[in-house]
Amino acid sequence: MFKRLQIEDYLVALLWIGVAVYGSVINDYAASSTAYYILNVPMALGLAMLWGISGVLSFGQVAFFGLAGYTYGIVAGNLLSSPGLAAVAGIAGGLAAALVLAVAFGYFIFYGRVEAWIVPIVTLVMTLILATFMGQTAGYEWKVGEVLLGGYNGMTNIPPMNVFGSDLFGRALFYYVLIAVVIAWLAVVLCVRSRFGDVLIALREDPLRTELFGHDVRLMQLLCFSVAALLAGLSGVLYVQWGNYITPDSMGLLQATLPVVWVAVGARTSLLGVTVATVALNVLSFRLSSSGNQYAFVILGALLVVAMVVPTMGWAQRLSGLVGRRG
Amino acid sequence: MSDDRKKGDAPVNGVNHSASDSDRGNGDGPELGVSRRDFLKGASVAVAGSMIGGGLLMKGVPAIAAPESKTVNIGFIEDLSGNLAVYGLQKYHAAQLAVAEINQGLTLAGGPVGVGGFASTGSQAGEPPKVRLDTASGEVKVAEQGGGDATSGILYGEDDEILVPSGEKGLLGKEVELTAPDGQSNNRLWQQLARKLIQQDKVDVLVAGFSSAEREAIRPIIDRNKQLYFYTNQYEGGVADEFTFCTGAVCEQQVIPVVQYMVENYGPRGFTIAADYNFGQLTAAWVRAYTPLVGGEIVGEEFVPLSVSQFSQVISKVQAAKPDWVMTLLVGQNQSNYYPQAAAAGLEFPMASTINMAQGYEHLRFNKPSLARMHNAINYMPEIPTARNRAFVKRFFEMFPEDPYLGQMAQNTYFSIHLYAKAARLAGTTDQDAVRRVLESGWTIEAPEGPVFLEPGTHHASHYIRMARADENHDISFVRDWPTVEAWWLQRLGVNLVGRPEHKQYTPQEDKFFPMLQKMAAK
Amino acid sequence: MDGVLSVLYQFGTNAAFLLLSAIGLIVILGMMNIINLAHGELMMIGAYVASSLYHSGVPFAACVVVSFFAVALVGVALERVLIRRFYGRELQALVVTWGVSLILAQGALLAFGPFLASIPIPFGSGTVGTFSFSWYWIALIVLALLLVAGLWFLYYRTAFGLRARATMQEREMAQALGVKTGRVYMLTFALGSGLAGLAGALMAPTTTIAPYMGQQYVAPAFITVVTGGSANVIAGALGSTGFLSLAETPFTIWFGTFIGIVAMLLASLVLIRLLPKGLSEWIQRRWLS
Repeated sequence: MFKRLQIEDYLVALLWIGVAVYGSVINDYAASSTAYYILNVPMALGLAMLWGISGVLSFGQVAFFGLAGYTYGIVAGNLLSSPGLAAVAGIAGGLAAALVLAVAFGYFIFYGRVEAWIVPIVTLVMTLILATFMGQTAGYEWKVGEVLLGGYNGMTNIPPMNVFGSDLFGRALFYYVLIAVVIAWLAVVLCVRSRFGDVLIALREDPLRTELFGHDVRLMQLLCFSVAALLAGLSGVLYVQWGNYITPDSMGLLQATLPVVWVAVGARTSLLGVTVATVALNVLSFRLSSSGNQYAFVILGALLVVAMVVPTMGWAQRLSGLVGRRG
Repeated sequence: MSDDRKKGDAPVNGVNHSASDSDRGNGDGPELGVSRRDFLKGASVAVAGSMIGGGLLMKGVPAIAAPESKTVNIGFIEDLSGNLAVYGLQKYHAAQLAVAEINQGLTLAGGPVGVGGFASTGSQAGEPPKVRLDTASGEVKVAEQGGGDATSGILYGEDDEILVPSGEKGLLGKEVELTAPDGQSNNRLWQQLARKLIQQDKVDVLVAGFSSAEREAIRPIIDRNKQLYFYTNQYEGGVADEFTFCTGAVCEQQVIPVVQYMVENYGPRGFTIAADYNFGQLTAAWVRAYTPLVGGEIVGEEFVPLSVSQFSQVISKVQAAKPDWVMTLLVGQNQSNYYPQAAAAGLEFPMASTINMAQGYEHLRFNKPSLARMHNAINYMPEIPTARNRAFVKRFFEMFPEDPYLGQMAQNTYFSIHLYAKAARLAGTTDQDAVRRVLESGWTIEAPEGPVFLEPGTHHASHYIRMARADENHDISFVRDWPTVEAWWLQRLGVNLVGRPEHKQYTPQEDKFFPMLQKMAAK
Repeated sequence: MDGVLSVLYQFGTNAAFLLLSAIGLIVILGMMNIINLAHGELMMIGAYVASSLYHSGVPFAACVVVSFFAVALVGVALERVLIRRFYGRELQALVVTWGVSLILAQGALLAFGPFLASIPIPFGSGTVGTFSFSWYWIALIVLALLLVAGLWFLYYRTAFGLRARATMQEREMAQALGVKTGRVYMLTFALGSGLAGLAGALMAPTTTIAPYMGQQYVAPAFITVVTGGSANVIAGALGSTGFLSLAETPFTIWFGTFIGIVAMLLASLVLIRLLPKGLSEWIQRRWLS
């Protein structure tokens, strides 16, 4: 196993240690915002695996994110009398919901052998259906047990993470999120640096040849899609535990494109790159907006264009050739 | 004086609706409020009186030490970019105007008048003038002079000049500063920004929120941090929150007047087209519940998702229903396309609304006569032809000559910030708990729309409601006034935030009155 | 009679909306395989050009034509500077075009403010019995069909079309046969952009002319093209607009707008499941070969 690890995996491990140390010296506010930046990482890593490694692009990661968040809210909100159980059941329910949707939808597209370039669009359609549906669920007829779905205004008062009878906020929440994110990252490393990962790469390079080698392409893609959905679901659960709130807006067009952007800027195949890009872009867009800067979108857009164009330019390729192997 | 806040003390005769000319005036108005309501822990009436009467503001702060900072920091979140920027920028500019005025030593007239507020009756002009906003000069121009006598008198006269000296530059000897990040029309960002403003920047007050989704996103954070918060938008109503003051108009203040007017003037049969989300659904529920009470009925309802921009099918449905009037509760840029499309399809039904024109200035954006026969019960539009409003509009467009409009939520933001400053000045501190208690002493503030009364028990405001009507030239006439319409629904539900703090949003489904009304409608 | 006409009109306007939303994307996504997320912003620029010209006194018809060329020029610039680097790399192209769309939309807000003056809807309204309708939407239905016909003629009946199709299918082979493929790509992208601009200008009277107006067209456009499939994009787009509108119209009439939209989206998903290569492959198999 260790033989298959790459240098970047050790670098990411170092990064997590760094984050853990950083978390011990900052104040509660900074810890809580850092928790937000890193809780997006599992979703991004899942997409990196799906898109970067196995070549299937999905705009639907936020659908799993949102579905898991809402399910957590419903389950935990109905078990308020025992907060510890509520949190655990909520997490399990959220992840299960994401998994069920992923398997159902993945079966639909992969076993239907939908063309690769159509997958991003159909996943986007799925996301928009879910968002439009949730948007009109205001009112009492949309009540699951004790919990109101809340329509476009969103579901409020979602219970926070609870361990041994105490709710997690601030620094405690930060460490909880960090642990969950590290576990997710380990899971991705395990997948990617294994034979399963090799098959995924083969799939990306040449699906037909992979199939002729005796691999069940459709099953592999479905598996990969499901793992990515689980990771997105984890991010969704962590998000509602952090913010105690979710709206259909988190499944909107803008949000749907964001994970794709993080992964693209992080060079897709590199787990280190994707991790750093996710955190950095979240920090950047927050910095831009908190300064009240109306140019935030322009700067973000320009950054994306540059990030994509630079690798296509000759000098950049030569430069990366000097530095080392091109990712 | 003991802390009798929780005992629900009886209001003293609220006689002083117009309050004093300035915060440093003779002290009558404010003193009434102070003597009735012990909002400063341990502060004596004498101290409070001298604070106001003598303008000894800095000396009157011993009870609670002010924070170290050299400025009073107003946290302000609106969408300055993205889809909702069209509204956010108006509000941002109105906030900047209010802060600039406070720093110049100006305030809006008004003061605490007691928990009962004031009452008045409506007036109806014989033939009101038609007016039009000229943003270039910042003037409200009269397009056509009205005439005739009013059919009923206004109970009180309005002061023409509402901007008066406050007695100091800034607030409590400090400069007022606006910390205004950009919400980017992105709910997830709103939570982060609220946390930053509250926990890191430690703002003295937070003024934020266009959509209800944005408000609900940050309200849990506000409650956990006990942050003093103003939500200045017109909205669906029902927020009962210890720390939140809702200064915009709500359903009962707008829906009932407009429905009554439409039924009286155009006939009983109404058709509702509403945005398919919380605001549209709840406002439509109000319309459905109240139309029967004034002798009308809703013959059809169509809910439209926010992403829809093509209305030919909705238009066909309205045509088939042949109503006497159409209630349009359409939200956002996509949905405002309904108006030109309906006009082009030859729809000529009178229209009613509680939001359009006053927020997104559809009557200035769309070609004539798309908005002809549109009626909206608003608490503010910049076209209101009163002297005080003309002066306000002039000030605004002098500061922001490029701006296209000055909507109702911008005006609400403007007077809310002034209201905060007045309350903090009276409290003698920016301590949020103290300011909140002062705000709960029954304030009237002279806003550009007219006097606004902040009801302590519900943290909602009464408004001066006017029926605005657009003609074929999109000129506006205000065909009817309701000088004081209270936000009474939460009172009816028994909400009293002073005596019994809550942190929730009520919906009509929790009010047994609504199913009853619907049954009556069914009969 | 009125009822039937009304339903037909509703069907036609729904289909025309989808077709006009998609017309530029038919070329750029359907033929060039560039997932152009700035499609909505190209339509926005078209509407902006039309509005600016209209309010400086140019007749509306001329505004529409100028919009085509103006946005085509924008397309040429985009293609030369950015898009040409990403042929055959659809996913990078997707990210780049998304970046471009952010810049264009927020840039328009910063440069021109929240709204541009609207354009009155031409032609007024007509009435049959109790059913009244907008003549302009009738014109849009006809124009949408004419545009598709023109596109078909260009691609299947002219030398440029032949070269373009050859380039898209077998770039190297076409190059070997002397086709200047770089130029063909550029012109095709310009054509797609121009058509998006033209559609934006045509829709401008019916809509709010604002920086983020493009968003409303993105999802319908992509769904239309994807449902149509790539075997024959023009026949596919025509078929899919008809199919999707057929799903949407009755459900909206019976159950309301939300159900109508959901019905349309579900119909597209089901169709893609049954015909993974899109409607056009089926049409081609059935009728065109």
